[in-house]
Amino acid sequence: MTQSWLNKKTAIGVMLAGAMLAATACGSGGAGDAPAAADKGGSKASSSGPTKVVFWHAMGGSNTKVVDQLVSDFNASQDKIKVEAVFQGTYDDLLSKLKATMGTKEGPSLVQMYEIGTRFMIDSKTTTPMQNFIDQDKYDLSQLEPNITGYYTINGKLNSMPFNTSNPILYYNKDLFKAAGLDPEKPPKTFEELQKAADAITKTGKATGANFAIYGWFMEQFFANQGAEYVNNGNGRTSPATESLVNSEAGVKTLTWWKNMVDTKAANNLGRKTDDSKKAFSAGQVGMILESTASLKGLVDNAQGKFEVGTGFLPKPEGAKEGGVVVGGASLWIMNNRPTDEQKAAWEFIKFLTSPKEQAYWHINTGYFPITKKAYDEQSVKDNLKKFPQFQTAIDQLHQTKLNTATQGAVMGVFPEARQIVEGAIEEALNNKKSPKDALDGAAKEITNKIQQYNKTVKQ
Amino acid sequence: MSAQTQAASRKAQWKEGALGYLFLAPSLLVFICFLFYPMLRSIYLSMTLTDPRGRVADFVGLDNFKDLFSSGQFFTNLKVTLLFVLLTVPTTIIWSLVLAALTHNKLRGMKAFQFVFSLPIVISVGTGSIIWSLLFHPTAGMLNYFIGFIGISPISWLADPNWALVSVSLMTVWMNMGFVYIVLLSGLQGVPDDLYESAKIDGSGPVRTFLQIVLPLLSPTLFFVLIVSVIGAFQAFGQIHILTKGGPMDTTNVVVYSIYQDAFINFRFGIGSAQALVLFAIILALTVFQFKVLEKKVHYQ
Repeated sequence: MTQSWLNKKTAIGVMLAGAMLAATACGSGGAGDAPAAADKGGSKASSSGPTKVVFWHAMGGSNTKVVDQLVSDFNASQDKIKVEAVFQGTYDDLLSKLKATMGTKEGPSLVQMYEIGTRFMIDSKTTTPMQNFIDQDKYDLSQLEPNITGYYTINGKLNSMPFNTSNPILYYNKDLFKAAGLDPEKPPKTFEELQKAADAITKTGKATGANFAIYGWFMEQFFANQGAEYVNNGNGRTSPATESLVNSEAGVKTLTWWKNMVDTKAANNLGRKTDDSKKAFSAGQVGMILESTASLKGLVDNAQGKFEVGTGFLPKPEGAKEGGVVVGGASLWIMNNRPTDEQKAAWEFIKFLTSPKEQAYWHINTGYFPITKKAYDEQSVKDNLKKFPQFQTAIDQLHQTKLNTATQGAVMGVFPEARQIVEGAIEEALNNKKSPKDALDGAAKEITNKIQQYNKTVKQ
Repeated sequence: MSAQTQAASRKAQWKEGALGYLFLAPSLLVFICFLFYPMLRSIYLSMTLTDPRGRVADFVGLDNFKDLFSSGQFFTNLKVTLLFVLLTVPTTIIWSLVLAALTHNKLRGMKAFQFVFSLPIVISVGTGSIIWSLLFHPTAGMLNYFIGFIGISPISWLADPNWALVSVSLMTVWMNMGFVYIVLLSGLQGVPDDLYESAKIDGSGPVRTFLQIVLPLLSPTLFFVLIVSVIGAFQAFGQIHILTKGGPMDTTNVVVYSIYQDAFINFRFGIGSAQALVLFAIILALTVFQFKVLEKKVHYQ
């Protein structure tokens, strides 16, 4: 009895551990074990029917419907190309699935990738630069927003087409501002002003002054807003980055200010989830938050009948260098393992997406910026701005951004990981485990380490 | 016995053996595909460096293991894992045992309690985690609302490094309670009624009966539950992924989660496989230990 028990249980132990290992091995698999999702992706262009373009994206929730609508509009507009949109989960999931299909015949022809995956996509050498199609087609790039294409232009070449772009703005509760004796039409512009305003709101006892979710993106934006670079070598744009600069003055200043506000109860710490931050704001429990422009509609709708939402620029320290915001979001990449006519078909679809009319539709329904300048002339966009005047702030902030390597945004292969490391450092500082300087020093060292490891495995 | 009959019996034996393997073949095939091959592949991968696409870029021997054991991070993660096991396993078993003991009788309405206490078993990790993330919400969550009534100021359940692991454990105890409760309850129901009766006649009170008669009879069940729970706790993933993602400050970063991050987010299969193998060795050693040492105390009828 005892003996058979032992055997059985050991076997179960081995099985469970093995199952885990199995999962590990699958991810690295070659052609044989491409994930099931890829099955949908494999397309065969038949000579007679329309060219099929498989488009992988990460637009969840209500945005899925908007993407589907754009796709079916495109399919209805002509009969040579048929685009099939496949939702693949979060950006991270999408990236993992894409990695699994690289080097196989499976996979999409067109893929959406978040901005911080840009360096990886270039280094993977699996994509056709957008610039090739632009040059071939003599497509006029000047019709797009230069501050948006700036992010994706590396070495003077546009590698991918911007698709959904947003940037962070300050959202504030006008009613709480009034209650604290502040001018509800004048959002704070500097770190110092914001701290004072937050302090005043906390002192009313009605709510906490401010909350910033511990999100690495905000730190990146604070850097750009002070005109500071995040990694060396011109933010990784003149040549691949080798060192993180997150512990430079801009970082320490920002984190010290942030920690100061939490220590004096002017702000609180609700953790990493931006959703928690939004929820607290909508419930009137905090006076100010930082959030993506893409959340504007949701936040305004949730505040309906409770309080009035105001928006302001991302704050910066007094006397900081001229800067601006980095354009967050994602862009579209054409994969080079697909037949040429399929790649061309994907390019046709991209051209359709960037037209003013489609951009207007996209902007109104998702809250992302139109990437085409002319979209602002569309009546629907004008009407939308009347309904949500708060959005003007976001547009102004985008247009006032001076384009340089700092505001173009950092490029590095290990960006998703670096973001997590920075988030860890912010937590260490806010929870009094380390001083802001020490926490960022540690983070910079770790990120530099990872960058160098990455550079070792990627042959340039 | 003549040589002829010996050969015949050997042939028959071989035939029987072959037939046995034929029946085993389907499961062997599955085991080879999904367990043995991946495991061997993992051992190979643990000795390599992979590029950002997850392709093997370099053979590095035992460097990954050296890195692992020289970095403080791995030991921190291991410590978190052990703490998580200690926080969840004994609590789940004791709590479920108390509930099972209380509801193991034929009073009216007991079925309803039994139903409620075993309910978590039908709730998936994903759903359970989402429910608890709502309860844990720092400003709009129900837990903070209720503790507000007794004058306790709100707790950042998942964002405070001192609380995060406790919070995740709390949710895990609730989630695992269903299974453990059902197993223990059926174990209790296996204790024959006449034992209770004769204990009563001999003048034993309910507490004494429970501790000295029922508990020893329940020990095989408890042992089973312990082994399964320990292994389960070592491999907890879903709730951590959804609730904290290993944060804040790595206070909930258990080994399995760090394997996931290294292998599937950062595509460093080498270091991920190395961690998986070390974890496998630890679970194996612990399970063997439990069988060698603890099983001596188990009373089989």
